[in-house]
Amino acid sequence: MNVEAYISSGILEAYALGELSDRERAEVEKNLAQYPELQKELKLIEEAQERLLMKAAVQPNASVKEKLFATIDSRTPVTKVVELKAEKGRLTFWRFAAAASITLALITSYLAYNYWDKWKSSENNLADLIAQNQRIAQDYNTVNKRLDAIEKDLNITNNPAFNRVVMKGTPIAPGSLASVYWNESTKEVYLSIQEMKQLAQENQYQLWAIIDGKPVDAGVFDGNFSGLLKMKDIKPGAATFAVTVEPRGGKTSPTLETMQVVGNVVKI
Amino acid sequence: MAALQRKEKNALEYLYDHYAGALLGVISRIIKKEELAEEILQDVFLKIWDRIDSYDATKGKLFTWMLNIARNQAIDKTRSKEFSKSKKTDDIENFVSKVDRAEFTEMSVEVIGLQEVLKQLPEDQRFVIDHHYLKGYTQVEMSEEFNLPLGTVKTRMRLAMKELRNLLKLE
Repeated sequence: MNVEAYISSGILEAYALGELSDRERAEVEKNLAQYPELQKELKLIEEAQERLLMKAAVQPNASVKEKLFATIDSRTPVTKVVELKAEKGRLTFWRFAAAASITLALITSYLAYNYWDKWKSSENNLADLIAQNQRIAQDYNTVNKRLDAIEKDLNITNNPAFNRVVMKGTPIAPGSLASVYWNESTKEVYLSIQEMKQLAQENQYQLWAIIDGKPVDAGVFDGNFSGLLKMKDIKPGAATFAVTVEPRGGKTSPTLETMQVVGNVVKI
Repeated sequence: MAALQRKEKNALEYLYDHYAGALLGVISRIIKKEELAEEILQDVFLKIWDRIDSYDATKGKLFTWMLNIARNQAIDKTRSKEFSKSKKTDDIENFVSKVDRAEFTEMSVEVIGLQEVLKQLPEDQRFVIDHHYLKGYTQVEMSEEFNLPLGTVKTRMRLAMKELRNLLKLE
């Protein structure tokens, strides 16, 4: 190291003025230990500074000195140890108390947030579950109603008192197929469709029973139902059932050329 | 020194009698209020008393060590809440570097001998000595406030210190 250059950089003055960072100060101290010339130069700088500041002195009031030594006296070794111990104990306690309070506050905040979060998500889950429950209940009702309907239909189709009349497709609707369940003694008539084409909005199917060669109205229906449809009662004596296409609401006499399906009653 | 490190009170008393004035001078250039400055002076000597074991003679003179304690204690005070309250200013930094210096009175320059010594310095050297030792500026603050390159401030300070060595020796 060039000691001359180091000295003329003014770093020793800055060191004596107390203007260096901790890192710079450590470096200067390392160099001081290594180069006696630096120590000599620093000493000169410090002496000049000391003389200067001695000249710029401001004398304190005498009471300051009294107070200072009174304070030091009050801290004589014996009492000092005791005091320090007590103070240290107190300090440790307060530090511990402060740390504990802060920790507690942090934990509490965390737990509060955590619980709030959990409560929030529980609430959402609950809402979801309620909605799901309602959907399931609706589904159940729907299924239950269908089951009831099917049960009812089964009672009819399995009831030997009902005579099943299969009506097959006519040449103008060869694919069509439908059945009538007719209880001659109670006059009840039920209709079930296996296959019938969709009609235009203004038309409806109409079921007819032929009694003594004369067509009798048994009610109108649309082609899009499942299960059994209850029709008008038909008194005993019907030999044939047939379905025609009529204007919506039906007519008093069938339009025979539109006949879709027809079937004869087979006496058991 | 050994007596001091053995915690003999008359050693501290010797230090006080010799250096309390110089240190109070340094403190009161940073803290203008007399009672506050004296309170700090007392804290400084208590600190010297408590920490005398950490003083290392290979790292500089005892006076320099005490001086730095005094300066740091005073500067810490300017940054403390208590101080800003007593001065009713909320901008402490500004207060330290500007207002305080503007209020600076000729207190320390009452020391006529010093004034005469400083008068013998060239103008630019007197400026840096005056601002550092009497007005409490750091070299960096001087460079910033008066638009001087830091290198220039350092060089002037170095030359001034060199000059002072001779002038003060002649006294």
